[in-house]
Amino acid sequence: MKKINYFIIAVVVIFITSCTNNQVKLNAAGATFPLPYYNLAFSTYKNLNAINISYGGIGSGGGIRSLKDKVVNFAGTDAYLSDKELAEMPSEVLHIPTCMGAVVMAFNLDNIENLNITPSIISDIYHGKISNWNDTAIAAINPNIKLPDLKITPVYRSDGSGTTFVFSDYMTKTSQEWKVDFGHGKSLKWKLGIAAKGNPGVAGVIKQTRGSIGYIGTEYAFAQDIKTAAIQNPRGEFIKATTKSIALAAEGDIRPDTRQMITASTTKGSYPISCFTWIIFYKDLSIACKDQQTQIETLKLLNWMLSDKAQELTLKVNYVPLPPLAIQAGLKILSTAK
Amino acid sequence: MTDKIFKQLLFVLSLIVLFITAGMIYSLVSGSLPALREFGIFHFISSSEWDPKAENYGALPFIVGTLLTSFLALLISLPFSLSIALFTGEYYKNSRFSRIISSFVNLLSGVPSIVYGLWGFYSIRPIIINMGISSNGLGILTSSIVLAIMIIPYASSLSSEFLGMVPANLKEASYSLGSTRLEMIRNVMIPYASSGVTASYILALGRALGETMAVTMLIGNTNNLPSSLIATGNSMASIIANQFGEADGLKLSSLIAIALLLMLITAFINLIGKLIIRRFQ
Amino acid sequence: MVCVLSSIIAIPLFSIVWKVVSKGYKQISLEFFTQNIPNSWEASLALKSGNIIPGGIAPGITGSLFMVAIASLMAIPLGITIGVYLCENPNNKYASIVRFISDLLQGVPSIVIGLITYSWVVTTLKSYSALAASVALTIMMLPMIIRSTEETLKMLPNSLKESALALGASRIKTTYYVIIPSAFSGIFTGILLSVSRVIGETAPLLLTSLGSSSINWNIFSPTSSIPTLIWDFYNDPNLLNMVWSSSLILLTIVFVLNYIAKTVSQSRNN
Repeated sequence: MKKINYFIIAVVVIFITSCTNNQVKLNAAGATFPLPYYNLAFSTYKNLNAINISYGGIGSGGGIRSLKDKVVNFAGTDAYLSDKELAEMPSEVLHIPTCMGAVVMAFNLDNIENLNITPSIISDIYHGKISNWNDTAIAAINPNIKLPDLKITPVYRSDGSGTTFVFSDYMTKTSQEWKVDFGHGKSLKWKLGIAAKGNPGVAGVIKQTRGSIGYIGTEYAFAQDIKTAAIQNPRGEFIKATTKSIALAAEGDIRPDTRQMITASTTKGSYPISCFTWIIFYKDLSIACKDQQTQIETLKLLNWMLSDKAQELTLKVNYVPLPPLAIQAGLKILSTAK
Repeated sequence: MTDKIFKQLLFVLSLIVLFITAGMIYSLVSGSLPALREFGIFHFISSSEWDPKAENYGALPFIVGTLLTSFLALLISLPFSLSIALFTGEYYKNSRFSRIISSFVNLLSGVPSIVYGLWGFYSIRPIIINMGISSNGLGILTSSIVLAIMIIPYASSLSSEFLGMVPANLKEASYSLGSTRLEMIRNVMIPYASSGVTASYILALGRALGETMAVTMLIGNTNNLPSSLIATGNSMASIIANQFGEADGLKLSSLIAIALLLMLITAFINLIGKLIIRRFQ
Repeated sequence: MVCVLSSIIAIPLFSIVWKVVSKGYKQISLEFFTQNIPNSWEASLALKSGNIIPGGIAPGITGSLFMVAIASLMAIPLGITIGVYLCENPNNKYASIVRFISDLLQGVPSIVIGLITYSWVVTTLKSYSALAASVALTIMMLPMIIRSTEETLKMLPNSLKESALALGASRIKTTYYVIIPSAFSGIFTGILLSVSRVIGETAPLLLTSLGSSSINWNIFSPTSSIPTLIWDFYNDPNLLNMVWSSSLILLTIVFVLNYIAKTVSQSRNN
């Protein structure tokens, strides 16, 4: 029975390698929106402190579920937990914001670089009420552009997503019709258009379809040079998403628990569809961290994420650093964690 | 070890498969109970509503989407996989040429689904748009075509093996009675290997029913009943993949119910397949 | 006619392979196999300056091979034995149930298997792990191995088994030393197809092994794999090129596996 011997040897070898490989590793899972930034931040941290961090982009919901099941040390989420969700967690959960980003309206029109657009036009497009680019409503706010006679193809996310959440949160605040028909949430019941999975899916469809318009995250639009529209903010200004305009949206007070949506900000010059992204963890770190060492390292990492060095990294991959008030709030929260 | 113990061992090991499946069914049933209780089984299966805001969910569009794409894919792949199987199992059997061809075809089975989706999006979709079949190039037809290509290796590889195992003396006997190659294949080889060949097609169909990523990227992801082959729609595996990450409560339960339904439908199709084979034998 | 149909299939086949090769080969170098995963910023710098993205997928290659090897260790003996059992008992009611269920498992979407393995193994072990992923992969590999073993054995002439038994060999010896070697080719094809399938699956690996930024040999820890890396690259606006090169590696592994296996089995048959 030689084969059985080989089998036994293989099993023993696997166990030996597993038991000897026990350095501290941190595990996390969650949103795909901040994935490029987290990968950069965590690999930079690894070079500084020799701690391996694994972050799986399985979606905010997956991250929350993993934290609930205590299989990760912390999770990333684009939508903060509601009071109801917080109550369902086994123990108190804290949020800290890690960076900012925004949702842009990307479009595909030949020879047009700049486009102004308002929330009511966006709502009408997704309702099918405005179906052609040369519609009077669009022309009225874009006097210097010759709009083509071309059908508008709206694009949206087929999967549940934080990007949809932020976008619809903004639309609900600014358009009564949207609020009634679509509401806000991670996935909505859309009326018309093309659905695509993930940011890359939507970006891909927009790039390949003339006359299309859809919402994607800024890190995507900037990295791939996709044309984005200037959106009218509550002050009436038409603002394009830039590092500066996104940062302006977070100006002003921030809740002590940092659970705050910053869409439709009334700050002058602010981009209206900006957002935070959070990392969530148990106040009592020992719940999701197996040993003392892991707890210490997790806390160290989370503090580092709010440091200048980490925040500088955001700019390198087209995200936006947190404003000082948000960082202060985050550090205060971290000081309460054990 | 005596023969008796050996027989017992085989029996015990086969229990593992039952155990895994039973566990799976248990998890799926307990997860889907909230949704089924809320909507009623019959209503859930026949409703085309999928409204996250009103929390009203129905599975019909996805059932139709899955069945349409899988069967269409099987149909499209049939002539190709059968001819490759014949090519490598009979005509050029045991030659280096057939080894290269079958390795190459098996390559198709190793391509990750994401890459199939990407390839379908960038290569097949423009063809469909240019041929004027559909304006956005996504939909049941596009995903069926790519799905067909994905399942060909499953059907052809195994069928090829089974066709190649037909004993030489049977084939020679047929020739000596004066049959042509084609007649021999039709009247001797295929009937002899029919059990195995059908099993490989059922396995291929199973693969098609459960395929997620490639279908998601090409089917259009609209939660409505597809009105025609060129319409967009959604499949059961694809809606689960799309919505599971962010779902909770009633929606999560509905998705699990859809997974359970998929298992049941697979079981049903397998049963029917077996009945059909028995009819023919 | 057979030639015509077979050659038509060559078109999409070549198209896919060509696309993967042409978009992916530039990335390939020794560095690709040995280096750690690049991040988005390094990639964007490289793209802007027209260079190849630095780094490689070493954690993914080792992780994939590690987890598939463990899954095979579990699935192959189990699958073959169950296939033997089914063949030995063609009319047994219990056996038909097992056969039916095996076909059923084949149709379960990989994401559902991933989710179920998550709720059984990951939550119990309180960690994402290579072990959980291997369990998921094993469940996916079993139906194909079981069925191809059973069907191949069914096609063996009875005379083979009978003469071995007539010579006084015990059942177990007959099975393992006579029947299985003769059926080697068919069984091997089933094993090969199932390995090729699971080595490219994303959803179950993402939900059970999570992924890792470095090479991992600990069966109880999160592990990277080529498909999860492809998923990460796909979702990153700067790393899309890595999707093609990683797929190229995957395809090459599958091709080499298949070719070796076919050569071995055909030489055994002759």
